Amino acid sequence: MSQTPHAVEARHLVKGYGVVRAVQDVSFQVPRGEIFGFLGANGAGKTTTLRMLCGLIRPTAGTALIDGFDVFAQPMEAKARLGYLDEEPFIHPHLTGREFLDYIADLYRMPRGPERHRRMERLLGLFELADRDGELVGAYSHGMKQKIGLASLLIREPSVLLLDEPTNGLDPRSARLVKDLLEELATRGTTVLLSTHILEVAQALCRRIAIMDRGHLVATGTMEELRTQAGSAQATLEDLFLRLTAGPESSELIERLLAPQP
Amino acid sequence: MSRSAVGIILRAEWRAWRNRIAKANPLRVVGLVVFALLGGTVFGGFLFALAAAAGHLLPSARDAMLAGAFTALSVLMLVVGFPSVIATYFAGRDLMQLVLAPVRSIEIFLARSLFAMSANLLVAVVFLIFVAGVGAGSGASPLYYLLALALVFVQVLLVTALQATFMAAVLRWVPARIARDVAVAVASIAGGGLYLAWNLTLRQTLGSFAPRHQPDLSSLVSSLQRIEWVPSSWPGHALSAVIEGNASAALVWTGVTLVFAIVVVGAAALLYERTLLAGLGLLGGVPSRWRTRRRKPPRVAAAGAGSPGFAIARKDWIAYRRDIRRLSRFLPAMIFLLAYAVLLIRPGRGIDLFWNDVFVVAFVSLFMSMMFATTAIPAERRGYQLLRLAPVTSWQLIRAKVLFTLVPVLALTGVISLGLSLAGGNSPWKTLQVALLAVWLGVGCVCIGVSAGAIDPNFESADDRRSVGIVGTFAAMGGELAFGLFSVGALALFYLAASLAAGNAVAGLPVAATPAFAVASVVIAVALAAAGASVVVLMLWLANSHLRGFENSIVSN
Repeated sequence: MSQTPHAVEARHLVKGYGVVRAVQDVSFQVPRGEIFGFLGANGAGKTTTLRMLCGLIRPTAGTALIDGFDVFAQPMEAKARLGYLDEEPFIHPHLTGREFLDYIADLYRMPRGPERHRRMERLLGLFELADRDGELVGAYSHGMKQKIGLASLLIREPSVLLLDEPTNGLDPRSARLVKDLLEELATRGTTVLLSTHILEVAQALCRRIAIMDRGHLVATGTMEELRTQAGSAQATLEDLFLRLTAGPESSELIERLLAPQP
Repeated sequence: MSRSAVGIILRAEWRAWRNRIAKANPLRVVGLVVFALLGGTVFGGFLFALAAAAGHLLPSARDAMLAGAFTALSVLMLVVGFPSVIATYFAGRDLMQLVLAPVRSIEIFLARSLFAMSANLLVAVVFLIFVAGVGAGSGASPLYYLLALALVFVQVLLVTALQATFMAAVLRWVPARIARDVAVAVASIAGGGLYLAWNLTLRQTLGSFAPRHQPDLSSLVSSLQRIEWVPSSWPGHALSAVIEGNASAALVWTGVTLVFAIVVVGAAALLYERTLLAGLGLLGGVPSRWRTRRRKPPRVAAAGAGSPGFAIARKDWIAYRRDIRRLSRFLPAMIFLLAYAVLLIRPGRGIDLFWNDVFVVAFVSLFMSMMFATTAIPAERRGYQLLRLAPVTSWQLIRAKVLFTLVPVLALTGVISLGLSLAGGNSPWKTLQVALLAVWLGVGCVCIGVSAGAIDPNFESADDRRSVGIVGTFAAMGGELAFGLFSVGALALFYLAASLAAGNAVAGLPVAATPAFAVASVVIAVALAAAGASVVVLMLWLANSHLRGFENSIVSN
């Protein structure tokens, strides 16, 4: 493993689509074992940044490093250490859950044998999918797809997890399970970069938080640092988020919508 | 006055179509338009001239030709246009919105008819050129052309309505999840069977070609006359009556065609109203369970490191068996291939048995790789992103796909070619040559096919036939054709060299039977084989570069 102290490092990432700049000069580092929150409004550039970090999108400029390995210059080394869960998990609809996990384990060259089998069964049990044998992943509900997606990451124990809305579609019990699991993984040294719209989850889990707005990283830091940056000692994460991603206040918007038409 | 639902739906569809065009790469759009115009002019001109000549030279066969043309049009539309009809009337996700809105089923049926007919209308244009050619050759009046235009449109409407009726009937008997695939498979098998019967009739006709003799058309004409009672041939009778100036017959045939069309369209609208909800949101989905037998204890994999290549191959094998849609496309194509191979067993007049086998091997290799190899990478669909995330290079993926696809292609090509060679009485040496050629062509065509799919993949397509774009399809066809021609050309030159070396000159070739010419033939043969191999290498290189640079998001599974 590389000796760099940062598990994830974004260096001046830029992504442009023609004249549109989806991500502009985004830089941050995430030390090992940290849960790092990634917040932003819809279309702020969170998913594009995550996809650049995991190698799905090549940046127009800048570098993405995972455990010190450049995702595009040393893709094999970086990908072997990385687990990415999309907001709509990538699955193979015609495989069963067990076959899908087996497929992923083989793709990442995990050793075969009873240990891998036991791990697979434990994960299927943990996510309440063990009794779904014979059921195809394509027919799973959204929450179940999310669970099998998470299981497909955890089976190979990556050192870095990039998660885009991991609790999306999960029932409260499963969402709690995922939160507890992430905390436990972080204490064992796994680095988690968590993109979410659920501010309570971010506030409860993340040591540091980055907020994106229209392609820019507008703030990064702990809750205290963000409060100082926003100049409000008592502000909640929701207040900070709304202040840093400034737009018309919701009360103003509602008033405009419901105002009698001339 | 409120606007009609039909108008609103049509306007939205038109906007969506316009936006798709506006969003597309302008170079690609212009290229396609130029290609369509050039291709259409050349092909249409040739077809028109052929039909005009036939109309002029064969006045007694005009009725049979027109009736046959309308029947062939109907059969072709039934098969080619069926997926469009199903997608437009029964399976589109936008139907959900329409069903939720205060819109009557009949309005949905009417509004979507134009789009359901789109594929059928494209097929019909080709037949319209043929019908116009027959009219021109027969010196028909302007009324003929107007009536032809109207009757071709009525035929398109009728066949589209018939397809909707058929699908509605299938939905009443077959579970909705597999109804679409069952219907497509039945239509493909029926269409394939009719096409083969037609080919057999043609072969009977053209097989009796002898030098300085005209082809015997009696079998073809009598076959066409036997189907004159079929409703699909009625518009043809109406047009031939116009040519002959028989107004009453023209009126009767046009009348019965229109009445039949009204009945079928009415029945389709009624049945559609009753079955629209039956398949909505379910058609073609993944079945929830694939295994009904008792659950077996999960198998623990053997020891050793996991292999990505093997994992991809194993996953493909499992998915192939369970993907009903793919199976429903695969089975009719296999029937078609085997039937063609059987048809080709009997070599044409004057063709050596060995070269007949060479042709069959080349045809089967091309057909099989188009069927299996081109879709190999696009069939990953959204799962392709998993491969991009995994420590698997694009070259490893291409290699895994080639190796997995080679197994069925080589097995089937081998069985067919060896069966043909042995049944035809080829010597063991020649049989070995056929087998080696089968392996060479199989490997090359599969590499080209897999590469072409990787060059222009459409990962979002749920239908294998649309999973490779136009560029990929042409790259596959062009590449395989070039490779096949280079390879067979090289083989022919090796034979020529052997013949020249043995001191036997080849009749009609201005080449002396000397060792120098034999050596020159070998050199050119090797160069041709190398050119074939370089086509394969170039395609693999392009595919690898394209996959490495791919970064689109894939929305649907």
